[in-house]
Amino acid sequence: MRTKQTALGAALAALAVLCAMFATSASAAPAWKFEGKALEGSEVVMGGAFESALTIPGLTTKCENFLYKLSIKNESGTGKGELTEMPLYNCTTNSSACLVNTIGAEALPYPSHLATFGTANYVIIEKVKVGIRYKGEECALGGILVSVTGSAGGEVNNTTEIATFNSTTLSASKTELKALSQKIEWSGVFPTEAFQWHREQALSVS
Amino acid sequence: MAQRTGAKRLLASLAKTASARALLALAVAALCLFAGCGGGSGDSADSSAASQDQAAASPEGGGEAGATQGGAATEPDKAASGEGTKNAATPNGSSPSTSPSGHGSRLPQPKGAPEKAPTPQEVANSTVADMALQSPAIVATGGELGHLASTYTCDGKDSWPQLQWSGVPAGTAELALYLMNIQPVEGKLFVDWAVAGLDPSLTAIDAGELPKGAITATNSFGKRGYSVCPQSGETYMFILYALPQRLSPSQGFEPRDFRQEILAISRNAGLLPTVYERG
Repeated sequence: MRTKQTALGAALAALAVLCAMFATSASAAPAWKFEGKALEGSEVVMGGAFESALTIPGLTTKCENFLYKLSIKNESGTGKGELTEMPLYNCTTNSSACLVNTIGAEALPYPSHLATFGTANYVIIEKVKVGIRYKGEECALGGILVSVTGSAGGEVNNTTEIATFNSTTLSASKTELKALSQKIEWSGVFPTEAFQWHREQALSVS
Repeated sequence: MAQRTGAKRLLASLAKTASARALLALAVAALCLFAGCGGGSGDSADSSAASQDQAAASPEGGGEAGATQGGAATEPDKAASGEGTKNAATPNGSSPSTSPSGHGSRLPQPKGAPEKAPTPQEVANSTVADMALQSPAIVATGGELGHLASTYTCDGKDSWPQLQWSGVPAGTAELALYLMNIQPVEGKLFVDWAVAGLDPSLTAIDAGELPKGAITATNSFGKRGYSVCPQSGETYMFILYALPQRLSPSQGFEPRDFRQEILAISRNAGLLPTVYERG
């Protein structure tokens, strides 16, 4: 009788340990939070950079403003999202002969999720496809449409509520954007905030 | 035994067989999960209820933010005026900039309309950079452009490196290769090398050699052939154009005019950027 009780106790203890392990691993994935509380339901956040540069090999293309709209939610404790809009404003190149004819996100929406690498949390935008068509009679790339494809990881700073995308964050988050078969750089500093249910609330990721 | 409770009696009888013990373990595990010990942050469990709560709190029209013109372009204005979006936390729709928490809108307010994205029709009418053009002599490392060795400039043999390509679309009648400066010279496109009349079945040319039938342009140096000779440093672009019909220019053709003819009909190109720094 005592043996059976001991065995039952041991089984319960083992289950408790398994439960605790499962709970720990699940909470390791970062989630979207507002005022320190995990987002329930969905929210729309927008990020906007005052200047952002996309370096197509050989031709740097800068945009004065670069916004993104992200529909976010938590799924099983992990932050997910969909980038649904990404308008760019006043884009120019570093060549006096080349103008940006058209530039914009294609094949929206882009899936996204939160991930932790090292001690930092990142928002990962996947399946990015940005088309850029240059014009200019004296532009070597005039009339040519170049596509930027891949994924991009931006580091989320919970204090400043800013997502920063640059070569360091792309590398740290194991993401890359490519154009003309080459890895390219994208840099931008995006203050990010909610625009639906949690407007004015502190956005964080943990 | 008589002092056992009904539950203990049930447990004891269930524990008599191995399968019963397994059943018991499953039941305990189910109880454990139900109690929430494996739920992580528990967001998913609460999300549906939360959604319902939010739906109940939802203002009519939702006020979802938009990031396109008329969306993002105007959204900060909406946020400032309390229009367009409403917040369960701030039912009065007060301006973010006056928020006691200091979490006001810090997004840029873009001037003018957003850039136009390429439309499907524009994509169909563009020369799309979808062919792969490479050279074993020009290798990009990380985000850096591949360097052109001096042997391929006027500091060396001044002839082209080996080039290879793939992805030439079916139905291509002719290929044309160009090498151009990214930055114009005296406001004009500077063509260092242009070759037309290449057979569409070709997938490479050797360094300094051209296949039979190749037609060479007079470059911007006034030389019929290839020359890369910048004053200091320069970024260049090799471009391979696939032509759906033969244009057959004559030897020594004018490459800038011919390029306009190419762009009018070519829908596929391969690009290879490179940089040369003297000294």
